[in-house]
Amino acid sequence: MRRYETLFIVTPDSSDEDLQAVADKFKGVITSMNGKIAAYDEQGKKSLAYNIKKQSKGHYVLMDYLGQADVVAELERNMRLDDRILKYLTVKLADQVDPDTVEEEKPKPRRAAETTDVSEEEDQSAEAQESEEEESLEEESEEE
Amino acid sequence: MVAYRRRRRSFPRRKVCRFCADSNVKIDYKDPKLLKYFITERGKIIPRRISGNCARHQREITTAIKRARHIALMPYTTIQPH
Repeated sequence: MRRYETLFIVTPDSSDEDLQAVADKFKGVITSMNGKIAAYDEQGKKSLAYNIKKQSKGHYVLMDYLGQADVVAELERNMRLDDRILKYLTVKLADQVDPDTVEEEKPKPRRAAETTDVSEEEDQSAEAQESEEEESLEEESEEE
Repeated sequence: MVAYRRRRRSFPRRKVCRFCADSNVKIDYKDPKLLKYFITERGKIIPRRISGNCARHQREITTAIKRARHIALMPYTTIQPH
């Protein structure tokens, strides 16, 4: 079996019951395809770096599971059909995993809705980078 | 003369790849706080000659940033399209 993780964004106006329904639905898809859930982690509501379907926020959910390639195909098909899912990303973590060695993690206590703004924080690093570039330019001109 | 000067120009001190220096840091697309050090304020990926990463880690960073962009953890651009 292979190990995959899927990070998906649930529409921000969904209630706790909606999130629970989403969880049950996609867990069911995986188990019905002979997959195995390794972890299901709701990461809370975060602001998106850009709008998706006119939404600027979303609930991020990370699902870690084992299965064959057809599990991913079926899961992604279901996500495309589901209006509550804004976007998803599936990444293969490992080939050839023995399902018996992987235990299901206990769901972590859900973090309070963190709103980390991606676009604001990035400015500092870029500035630092620029000033370094300037320094090296100055050094050059001094020698000439 | 020009060629001579060019050869003599001072090199900015060679930066060491921070991921080689500290193997505890894992490059992960779910970690925009780390990845934001490798993009400009416009959201472009900073080239290796400036960031100082080694080829292997720059490649991992690039993949991670592209994944993070896809899932809206990082911006493709900061100029918002209408």
